[in-house]
Amino acid sequence: MFNLVLAIARNTFREALRDRILYNLVLFVMLLTGAAIFIGELSGGQERKIIVDLGLSAMLLFGVFIAIFVGVGLVYKEIERRTIYAIFSKPVGRGEFLVGKYLGLCLTLLVNVLVMGLGVCLALLYVSRGWDPLIISIWPSILLIYFELTIVTAVALLFSSFSSPALSALLTFLIFIIGHFSADLKNLSNLAPSAATRWLLAAVYYILPNLANYSFIAGAAHGHSPDPTRLLAATVFAAVFVTVLLASATLVFSHRNFK
Amino acid sequence: MTDVPKRKTTSLLLVAVAGLITAASLTHWLDTHTSPPDPTLQEQELYLSAGAARRLSLGFNALVADWYWMRSLQYVGRTILNAREHVELDDLGKLNLKLLSPMLDAATALDPEFIEAYEYAAIVLPPIDVNEAIRITRKGIDANPNAWRLYHQLGYIYWQQRDYATAARIYEQGAAIPGAPEWMKAMKARMAVEGGSPATAREIYIRLYEQSGDQKIRDMARRRLLQLDSSKEVENINKVLNAFRSRTGRCINSWAEITPAFRAGGIGMDATGTPLDPTNMPYRLLDEGCSVELAPQSEIPKR
Repeated sequence: MFNLVLAIARNTFREALRDRILYNLVLFVMLLTGAAIFIGELSGGQERKIIVDLGLSAMLLFGVFIAIFVGVGLVYKEIERRTIYAIFSKPVGRGEFLVGKYLGLCLTLLVNVLVMGLGVCLALLYVSRGWDPLIISIWPSILLIYFELTIVTAVALLFSSFSSPALSALLTFLIFIIGHFSADLKNLSNLAPSAATRWLLAAVYYILPNLANYSFIAGAAHGHSPDPTRLLAATVFAAVFVTVLLASATLVFSHRNFK
Repeated sequence: MTDVPKRKTTSLLLVAVAGLITAASLTHWLDTHTSPPDPTLQEQELYLSAGAARRLSLGFNALVADWYWMRSLQYVGRTILNAREHVELDDLGKLNLKLLSPMLDAATALDPEFIEAYEYAAIVLPPIDVNEAIRITRKGIDANPNAWRLYHQLGYIYWQQRDYATAARIYEQGAAIPGAPEWMKAMKARMAVEGGSPATAREIYIRLYEQSGDQKIRDMARRRLLQLDSSKEVENINKVLNAFRSRTGRCINSWAEITPAFRAGGIGMDATGTPLDPTNMPYRLLDEGCSVELAPQSEIPKR
């Protein structure tokens, strides 16, 4: 079973390469190069901070776009091309198929994030005219960004298991936005006048992922690293939440009729 | 037959080039024939409140903070350029910079650890809105309790307002923070005893120059130190001029008449005996030889 999943994952990664997904790195490099060269004139001596903020924010933004727009197409494309029949004519379970697709896109995102992280480090070397401690301290924050992207990918996969690509993309994007408004949800839940509203908002708060827990870009720009306990908790949460999403996606997908 | 595709390609290229030239010309014409935007409307540009900006930034709050920071610098720089006169960074009260406080407030709300933004607010905002300068700096202290530099900035604001007692208390609180340098304690004592003295002013600007990471603030501190030095020199030169007038009943006709007094007083001169300011620009004689001032082209700020 594991070999099947890996084979699907490898194939998904190769498909992403063929679709030139990683060309977004060219745009990223241009953005960072331009920033490194020109930002000095505008930043009042804050080039390092702005390079990190810009680089990590672009990493998150580009990664979210890839997670959403490629993620919602992972299953849909196979159904559209009718290649899904060929896949399921082999002894491949629907769960294995989804997990393989998911891992393939996560691998693509990992390559994306690693290359972008290296790009940020090179830009820091340039603006600092030599070694900069930020080159090491940004990596835990990059790890958190990667975990956030894996969650968004799993959400996209869940929606795409039963919905059209356009609706899946919209819903996934909404989850991303709500995920960053989680603190406000919790406050609303505390302030709501009726018990039913309080319970509903609390349920929404706990069901949806609190993506603000993965946001450490500002801290990274100031040379801080996330607390190890927080990092561990975020890692475990991502693993658990992705498992829940993939299990739900498999449940829905297993009952889906492709005709 | 083979010429047709070439002709088509050439025609299309010509259309594209001609179209671009026409579009660029139209853009230029529109630029030269559009009246400039109303400056009062520009000042009323809507800026989100700090809290709203933080909510809407969706995890990109650090980048949005940087945007507000760069906009603040651009806003100040553009206003100074339009003023067409030299103004010091800590003397921008006469310029209409009412949007600077909300922008710096937003930058620091989005990134509470942005120490340089608090520092900039502490230096630039007091002549514009001292209450906002104090509020933003105190906000920085609340968000960064170990940042002793912010206590120094807050003490500087109160010192500028001549509230030496409060400034002394602020320096005392800052000196108690682990990692705070010894001079914070000394500054507290100096504020309490001689807050208004030139020596204290000198100490404040030296520390601003040493501690600030912002080159513009360091330049401002350097020029204020030069101003303090030149104030002392002007005072000494005026003493010499007054002594000459008391002795002779008239003002000097040329610097040469008091060169020996300058030499005795250790006042720097050029080859013609003209006293020089700390930037080696010659001082200017005024009131038909009765008083002195800095040369107009000197980089030292005038009072």
